[in-house]
Amino acid sequence: MTTPDPMAEIRASFFVECEELMEALQDGLTMLDGGDADDETVNICFRAVHSMKGGAGAFGLDDLVRFSHRYETVLDEVRAGRLEPGHDVVLLFMRAADILSDIVHYSRDGLPVDPDKVEPTLRELEALISDEAEEEEAEVTDFQPMTLALPFGGPPADRVVRIRFAPEPDLFTSGNEPVHLLRALAALGEMQITPDLSEVPTLDALDPEAACLAWEIVLTTNRDRAEIEETFEFVEGLCKLSICEEQSGLSLPCLPGLPPLAMPPAPDAGVSPSAEVRPRLTLTAPPDCSDPEEGTPPPDTAKTHAPQPAPATPIAVESPVATAARPATTPPKATVRVDLDRIERLVNLVGELVINQAMLSQSVAQAGLPTNSPVVQGLEDFMQLTRDIQDSVMMIRAQPVKSLFQRLARIVRDTSAAVGKPVRFVTRGEATEVDKTVIERLADPLTHMIRNAVDHGLERPEARLAAGKPSEGCITLSAAHRSGRVVIEVMDDGGGIDRPRVQAIAEERGLIDPGQAMTDAEIDALLFMPGFSTVKQVSNLSGRGVGMDVVRKSIQDLGGRVSISSSPGKGTCFSISLPLTLAVLDGMVVDVAGEALVVPIGAIAETMAYREQDIRSVGPRTRVLHIRDSFVPLLDLGVELGFRPAKESNAGSVVLLVANEGETLGALIVDAIHEQRQVVIKGLQQGYGNAPGIAAATILGDGQVALILDPVDMMAKAGTRPGQTQPALAPTG
Amino acid sequence: MTAVYALPARLDLPAATPLAGELRSLRGAPLSVSADAVTHLGTPCLQVLLSAQRSWQADGHRLTLETPSPEMDEQLALFGLSTADLEALPEER
Repeated sequence: MTTPDPMAEIRASFFVECEELMEALQDGLTMLDGGDADDETVNICFRAVHSMKGGAGAFGLDDLVRFSHRYETVLDEVRAGRLEPGHDVVLLFMRAADILSDIVHYSRDGLPVDPDKVEPTLRELEALISDEAEEEEAEVTDFQPMTLALPFGGPPADRVVRIRFAPEPDLFTSGNEPVHLLRALAALGEMQITPDLSEVPTLDALDPEAACLAWEIVLTTNRDRAEIEETFEFVEGLCKLSICEEQSGLSLPCLPGLPPLAMPPAPDAGVSPSAEVRPRLTLTAPPDCSDPEEGTPPPDTAKTHAPQPAPATPIAVESPVATAARPATTPPKATVRVDLDRIERLVNLVGELVINQAMLSQSVAQAGLPTNSPVVQGLEDFMQLTRDIQDSVMMIRAQPVKSLFQRLARIVRDTSAAVGKPVRFVTRGEATEVDKTVIERLADPLTHMIRNAVDHGLERPEARLAAGKPSEGCITLSAAHRSGRVVIEVMDDGGGIDRPRVQAIAEERGLIDPGQAMTDAEIDALLFMPGFSTVKQVSNLSGRGVGMDVVRKSIQDLGGRVSISSSPGKGTCFSISLPLTLAVLDGMVVDVAGEALVVPIGAIAETMAYREQDIRSVGPRTRVLHIRDSFVPLLDLGVELGFRPAKESNAGSVVLLVANEGETLGALIVDAIHEQRQVVIKGLQQGYGNAPGIAAATILGDGQVALILDPVDMMAKAGTRPGQTQPALAPTG
Repeated sequence: MTAVYALPARLDLPAATPLAGELRSLRGAPLSVSADAVTHLGTPCLQVLLSAQRSWQADGHRLTLETPSPEMDEQLALFGLSTADLEALPEER
């Protein structure tokens, strides 16, 4: 955004807010449909639509105002208990929410809204409350959008802010000094300060580094609260602080973690604070030493000697009381919106930090320092910190899959309507957090899979009834963390894969030889073969057989795998397994023909020494490894990658057992294992294109570039040509 | 006989404990504190001076602050105080 126009920024933030409101609306509607809704659920839906209408009015987005107004009217009927939110009604509400979402997008992009798309749903909505439709029509035109008072043009009004500030001893020892804070505060406006000296002891009882002073500050300022809070930014947690605004009875909540302090009385309410510039001194010691109370300082002079509090004094404790009145609503978490680019930069920097730290460790190791030397110990702490920073940065990028699932709910509704199959959509594990980049890139493949599930997975309602199933099909979308990966499953309760038909289609298309004997898994895998799909256009909504090869490709590009399980008559489950992040990886650094390679730990089931007696030859160039009563293909990595010709003997080598999703796929021979470590993934695709068996590259501690292997892909490539183990990366010259 | 004590220029956190020690040793007699050199008055030392005021007041001795520097006046004002708040003027016993 290059324009400095503040209106444009506010407009942009309105649309971001709309996305959040849409999410709240979808949530509420889902709860309504699930039957676990209460009055508050309807209120949430209503408020979401209402807020969108209000904002849209301020920006003159008439289409949005018009639709949300009518939508809101119907929701209001539900709220008032005059309309029962049955299943059909909620389904209509969901469709209306989809359209509302479209209108938001059109409005944002300045595109015209197609009335043909909007009107039918509007009419359906109004049919729900047909009795009142006419009356409402009149009201629409009456609706005057509320103009927002935007904070620019004309100086903001002065407000009175009351601050109580009581330092704690740590404030001094951490190098902070209240006098600087007070000076900064005084620069924000007219400051009237009253020290609270009640805790000051005589010298014999004084700890000079303890804190026994506090201040009451009345600040008349036109600055906003954030600026005032900023003053205390560096002493947060080092003092007791409450900031309350004295305007229209508005009580701002205190800073988190700081208990509201009992507010001493305001200065004379009638006197304008600015009229009394001289600080008001309340607590000088009484000059008369015969005062009976004199021996000890008065316990709380400020309270006992003070006039009654001014009625306008806001009390900070009001806010917890107000919250307690509505226990059902969870308070929203404080969040901040950050440009994704900034996070990307941070992630990159942390990646560099990890590499740098590895280089440092290497230098320390080479220096031959004893392991108990402070440098080595300090470095270990540093490594732990680096790891923590990395995890925290990754957490910034992590997002719940909920928003993605909600988008897919719409795909289910649309597809269900398009093909005439009623569908119940169930989601599980919406709170599962996945890297934002992964989520964005999952949207397309999942959309295809969901459409496929509705279109091909589910039977027609008649067929379902005939098979003794409910006429409404069920699509379940679930997400879960499983052993350092995210597993997303798309399940349908349809007829399962029609394997004879799949085999027949594959034969017809020349993908397999006629009459070839195949296992169920092999037949299922045919679905992913390029050329199996009947429609080339992957974006074709209504077409049959969206290219599953494209889906698999997208998942693989994310470092993921997709697998199918299906049982006839019961349904099919597509399971996607993905790395949590695309930025770092736990890997095993191995040596192959003098080259360092990184093998992802997740793909290694076991490592063992190479023993000649475990190896069997099958044909001239193919060997298998005998392990625990079974045989798995054995590949020499050096040969596979074209690093060297096959050795006479692999004695002394190491064998890595490669597994995917618990299934042992094969074994790789490497020359040696160096270490196990975390590596930063540097993509190769942009520079070099996709190399089979190679996932990416990384930079090791000594500055050497190492390839990150994709052992599963490597096994699969070798497996597609049974009897051959041609080097996958053989030199072409 | 009124003792005279000259405050150092920087009354920061490291100065607080020595200042408290000096003032404790001067207790029991009237004291005139000279503040013309003060350039920085921090909260810990302010607490010591306020505590001294209470102590002298309780003891029934005079504690006066002489020739405060402009910095001292300015910083006391920021704290919501004036030199009068650091002085004890009981009727001498």
